[in-house]
Amino acid sequence: MPNEPQIKVLSEQRRERFFWVLVVVFLVTLPTLIFYTTGYRLSFEDEQTTIVSTGGMYINTEDLDVEVYLDEELIERPRLFRSAYYIQNLSAGQHRVVVQRPDLQTWVKDLPVYSHIVTEASAFNLPERPHVRPITPYLTAAGTPVLFGVASGTEPFGIATSTEPVFVATTTATSSFTQNEEFVFVSSLFSITSTSTRSVFERLVDGLDRFRFATTTDATSTATSTQQPVARGNTGLFIRNGELFAEWIGNQQNIPYYYCVSTDTATSTAARYGDHVAEAFSRIREATSTEIIIDGNRRCRPEIKLDRLRQDVFYYAFFPNTQDLVVLHLEDGVYVTEIDDRAWQNTQLLYPGTDLTVVVENDLIFVRDGERYYELITEIEPSP
Amino acid sequence: MNESPKDQDHLLPYARRSDFKVARATELTGSDRRFYRFLEIVPGVTAWLSLIGVILASIYIPQYAAYFIIAFAIYWVLKTIFLSYHVRYNWKRLRHHMKLDWQRLVGRFEYRHLHHLVVLPYYKEPREVLEGALKGLREANYDPKQIIVVLAAEERAGEEAAALGHEMEARFGADFGHFLVTVHPSDIAGEIAGKGSNVHWALNQVHDSVIAPNAIPHRDILTSIFDIDTVIYQDYFNCLIWHFMTAENPYKSAFQPVPLFTNNLWDASALARVMAMSSTFWQMIMQERPDKAATFSSHSVSYQALYEIGYGQANVVSEDSRIYWNLLIANEGKFVVVPMSYPIAMDAVTAAGLWGTIKNIYRQHRRWTYGVENWCYIVYHFAKNPDIPRRRKWTIALLQGEGYWSLVTNPIMLFILGWAPIYLGSREFHETVLSYELPIMVRNLLIIAMGGLVVSSIISLSLTPPRPKHRSRFRYVVMAVQWIMVPMTMIVFSAIPGLDAQTRLMFGHYMGFWVTPKSRESQTS
Repeated sequence: MPNEPQIKVLSEQRRERFFWVLVVVFLVTLPTLIFYTTGYRLSFEDEQTTIVSTGGMYINTEDLDVEVYLDEELIERPRLFRSAYYIQNLSAGQHRVVVQRPDLQTWVKDLPVYSHIVTEASAFNLPERPHVRPITPYLTAAGTPVLFGVASGTEPFGIATSTEPVFVATTTATSSFTQNEEFVFVSSLFSITSTSTRSVFERLVDGLDRFRFATTTDATSTATSTQQPVARGNTGLFIRNGELFAEWIGNQQNIPYYYCVSTDTATSTAARYGDHVAEAFSRIREATSTEIIIDGNRRCRPEIKLDRLRQDVFYYAFFPNTQDLVVLHLEDGVYVTEIDDRAWQNTQLLYPGTDLTVVVENDLIFVRDGERYYELITEIEPSP
Repeated sequence: MNESPKDQDHLLPYARRSDFKVARATELTGSDRRFYRFLEIVPGVTAWLSLIGVILASIYIPQYAAYFIIAFAIYWVLKTIFLSYHVRYNWKRLRHHMKLDWQRLVGRFEYRHLHHLVVLPYYKEPREVLEGALKGLREANYDPKQIIVVLAAEERAGEEAAALGHEMEARFGADFGHFLVTVHPSDIAGEIAGKGSNVHWALNQVHDSVIAPNAIPHRDILTSIFDIDTVIYQDYFNCLIWHFMTAENPYKSAFQPVPLFTNNLWDASALARVMAMSSTFWQMIMQERPDKAATFSSHSVSYQALYEIGYGQANVVSEDSRIYWNLLIANEGKFVVVPMSYPIAMDAVTAAGLWGTIKNIYRQHRRWTYGVENWCYIVYHFAKNPDIPRRRKWTIALLQGEGYWSLVTNPIMLFILGWAPIYLGSREFHETVLSYELPIMVRNLLIIAMGGLVVSSIISLSLTPPRPKHRSRFRYVVMAVQWIMVPMTMIVFSAIPGLDAQTRLMFGHYMGFWVTPKSRESQTS
């Protein structure tokens, strides 16, 4: 047993030495981490160690179980509960992003990356095969929709699919079925002679011009549609010169990134965002009624033309629960297009057909295909 | 507060000043009052400006705010490493000291002439708490006849409290050399109700009733001022004697044990345990940084030193640390804390129900962090006392100030405002790599810092007393995992009560003393 305590108080010299070591660690670590956090990275290419500037990309994928490729390399999935991919360590320049899943349509974009800047984009992926919910005039006692006139051995929904159970009637008798009130309401949305409520009537009156506008007869016409523009939040849709535009009508400070470019010259704008974007800026510069918003280090146009695939537009509305996607009823089907036209606008087929009528009501998309009425399901099922 | 000149003959020269025991600006007049009031405002203003400054920087210069937050997170990691090193070192020393045979170690000294004066102020604590403290004294490895016990009751606690004191006297009085029950009168002018004024009264009483009549030399008395829930370990007095005998200047030293809040650890909630252990860890750190320490809670000091300054103050909330600053300033800066690195057991905060525990812990920590009033006292007297070396003044003032500032601001800045640039920054900032990388970087740094919690968990388990039979083994698991609450407890029970206390001081809403409720379900020591 010792005669004295063997462990003394921590000496002041030892404490001071440790303190100054940590001070040195701090002074070395701080600039290193600041450089790293702002996007500087060490490069070991060509047997040389250099410091390079990098940027990043932020791709929102709406929680889907998709694969994201950057320049053909698969990107690691984000952590649980995250729906966006933050991709760092990207060299400045053009990069191609592909978002895909086997049963969904692919979203692709070429985007510019700038040093110390993160380029943002939102992907969307509609099903390869449309997903519908039938709205039938009659229901069984259990509430199951009743389909008439389905030949045996054929798909009841054609190329579409549905998870809704249906009852395929073998006769035309309806006495054992109940009338579907939802059908009454939905069919009234499509009827121009509907005696529905005032709000529906107003919608039809307001939306009459939306059901068709000429696009090929008068290329020189400068008439702007006189109907009430469609708006959601701070984004509006309107027709001008036979084209459909999305317009930012909110505070200029909050204008979405895809209205803006980060370069000054038309040449670099075309190279990084596409000729159509450069031309759009040129047109706006020449026009006196529309101004370009100069916002810090970028220029923004207040409107973007939507790609209608050279077809007539019978109907347009915002895709449910978003301001960035637009539903277009074109000649050969119902499409969804993104407003973001950097590189190009991704346009995906929601429901094919030539004898269709489409209405968007309360963030639900209804389509009349011949005699059938459907709700087009916009939520994507988990990966099979 | 003022004593007659004759009464002051025994006081050190500086301790005779009329403002020596100032507690608040309202006790002063003229420019002194204005200066003291200014000092009372500084801590709160500094804290609020820091927090608001981070918010404003996040809005207007988010890039620089982000740089500051990264720097702060790195500083926090390194500070955690620095302090963790101290905790681990003291843990080693503590365990070593607990194994030593202190009775044998003091054998080489002449110490039988020394008396231990133990002052136990109490309010309305239950019988079990008083019994625990007195039993601990009786069962110590020390001749109890050399111990003078003072049970200091409060008149405002009612007759039951005084009666309980006399009951204890009847049961334990014969075991000790002297046993005195004092009753501190309520509403003495110039005092605030609380432990400080009670102790002040008790020391005066024991002097008149025991020390003077028995002609016990003041230099032969070691005074231990213990919270009533203090249960000493068996070799406490021997350990104290050893440190007293080996101190460079024992009459200019305060002796600080390590408080382990383990009397009722098994009965306390996880929240109370985390807070209690966190306090223990901080005291363990201070044991290895004695030049930066002050006295805390239960501690010991020579009676002579106390007598020379008039026994400390009866008008402050944080009387346990104030006594040290009184001693330091009155002795021209030549007063030190001697870390004993030996434990005493105390109670963790308990209450009926979780909400009661939360309230009590909050109030206790608000009282503790109201110790910022000491900074005002220190700086005021540093400005008045030319005999304290300037370097020592600046070192103490800055260190103490930084301590109170960081206690209040660091957890909030780190765990909440670290994300301010991301939420408040401009659109331009949001497009930068910096804004995306900032939360990742801060998160990763905090994870590194929180790695210290594993060490905390291990150390706390090693300091936990044996499991009582009525507690399941699963509680060990809870005790290990409870440390994940630390980020929350740092904000809710350190930073916010600290900010509360500093803000009250800033606005001149002076706090009174709040008595921490003590209770025992089972005997654990």
